Amino acid sequence: MDSLPTRVAQVAGRAPQRVALVDGDRRLDYAGFWRQAQHFAAHLRAQGVRVGDRVALILPNRLEAAVAIYGGWLAGAVIVPLNVQARARDFIPWLSHSGACHVVFEAGHRDVHEALAALPDAPGYTELAEAQSLPGEDNSATDFVAPLPDAPAMILYTSGTTGDPKGVMLSHANLLANAESVVAYLQLQAEDSVLSVLPFYYAYGASVLHTHLLSGACVVLGPSLMFPLLVLEAIEREQATGFSGVPSTYALLLEPMAERASSLASLRYLTQAGGAMSPALTQRLRGVLPAPRLYVMYGQTEATSRISWLPPERLDEKLGSVGIPVAGVQWKIVGEDGAELPRGESGEVCVRGANVMPGYWNNPEASAKVLREGWLHTGDLGYLDAEGYLYLQGRRSDMIKTGAHRVHPTDVEEVIAEMPGIREVAVVGVDDEVMGQVIKAYIVSEGERPPRAEDRIKAHCRARLAPYKIPRLIAFVDALPRTASGKVRRVQLMEQTATP
Amino acid sequence: MQQKHQIKQFILENFLFSDDPTAIGDQDSLIRGGIIDSTGIHELIFFLEDQFKLQIVPEEMTPANFDSIQTVDEFVSRKLAS
Repeated sequence: MDSLPTRVAQVAGRAPQRVALVDGDRRLDYAGFWRQAQHFAAHLRAQGVRVGDRVALILPNRLEAAVAIYGGWLAGAVIVPLNVQARARDFIPWLSHSGACHVVFEAGHRDVHEALAALPDAPGYTELAEAQSLPGEDNSATDFVAPLPDAPAMILYTSGTTGDPKGVMLSHANLLANAESVVAYLQLQAEDSVLSVLPFYYAYGASVLHTHLLSGACVVLGPSLMFPLLVLEAIEREQATGFSGVPSTYALLLEPMAERASSLASLRYLTQAGGAMSPALTQRLRGVLPAPRLYVMYGQTEATSRISWLPPERLDEKLGSVGIPVAGVQWKIVGEDGAELPRGESGEVCVRGANVMPGYWNNPEASAKVLREGWLHTGDLGYLDAEGYLYLQGRRSDMIKTGAHRVHPTDVEEVIAEMPGIREVAVVGVDDEVMGQVIKAYIVSEGERPPRAEDRIKAHCRARLAPYKIPRLIAFVDALPRTASGKVRRVQLMEQTATP
Repeated sequence: MQQKHQIKQFILENFLFSDDPTAIGDQDSLIRGGIIDSTGIHELIFFLEDQFKLQIVPEEMTPANFDSIQTVDEFVSRKLAS
């Protein structure tokens, strides 16, 4: 059966000495990668993990995060990669909802320990010190069976703390089909090496990892974007041919890239997804690095990762478009009544193809809302031009896109509402030049506000939420704007510019 | 001591939103703990440049200099001495 693990096993057999992953001073060739994956798979089996069991990974990008994914698949497990920055209040519902029987995480992660202690049926776990390899066992007696294409491979949780976790379930067929589509248009080859700064627990970062392993190429784990110069030095040192980012990645790197453009000559392709990049930033990036092909792309976790790509040679004439569907994907634009709209008219983007998820894990109601009559309803709004190129015009959902992160307003609202003295709260994303959006909380206080009320709210959030979910801006208002039915009018809040 | 206190105070107020000095230890990692992110580091650098009349160049933006209050303090001391 064809799948990512069987294909990567073939790469390891064909080119065992080719470097698969670079993590600082550590380099792992395909033979070593595959051997470690097999040993970890045998370890998971010895720990009682069986085919179809869920194994959660709570790891930053490091060699072991990649090995654990493939090792887990070899053991027949469904991998549940969780955001390493999340807090106990996120981990508890995710681990509980996924029914994870084993968790892999970095030593000293207090929130994971807290979550494990709070779960009634605590899963087994593997705790990894810095740079420590995954535990392994001799796999010679272990019988690994290639996964069936329709078997679930991965669950990616897209929302946090409320009682209704949504985990996008992706099959082995989804992952392989989407990776092959991306490999085709990026024309990836074994000689390529990509500098990866996107976490593997997000669909985009996972796609970067799998597409390059599938090609027998090299994945270099990049330093934090806090240190732009180190990121660029890594590109130069490793002679990386590719780099992938979200709009804020490029906004943060633009200036240092301009100063060191000549040392980045190895770059053959740049990819951008994870939210709309402004035409102005796109043009500035092209101006700074004119040689590499810049691929503007669009996708969604529910569609594995990638839905469309803009051929770089059409970038200038189609500026602002997210291009055409990737191979094997069809789309249509539908109106409010669900009928397909002609080109030029705006509506909801609907997608079908081998990349579309079978549904949300154990959540048939949520699945039925977005999967209807064979189409994935993306919630994204846009239109197709005369040549069938898609132009996006926003989203129906309230999800906030800040940097590489997605934040559901309710996750933040729930936490703020727990504070005394808060009558009402609404959280929205407001435009930001670097981060795309930043989080802004509108608050109606109960009675008089205490001194340093803003700091108190941020401190309360810091103690309970991942750092990227803390509101950057807080505004105190007398009342929240509401519709006739009483729903908060978020659009109106997003448009308000007063009182940062 | 005064210098380290000022750095700690800035980090407490701007990243931890707290005036409780026990909220962070001098050796605690600002990076791994997610206390400072890719935009936060620029805020810290603006503060250090303003407060201590320094010029910080991109080459100095490294984990070794910015990993903890202790390393930031030592970095500032080295800059002032040079």
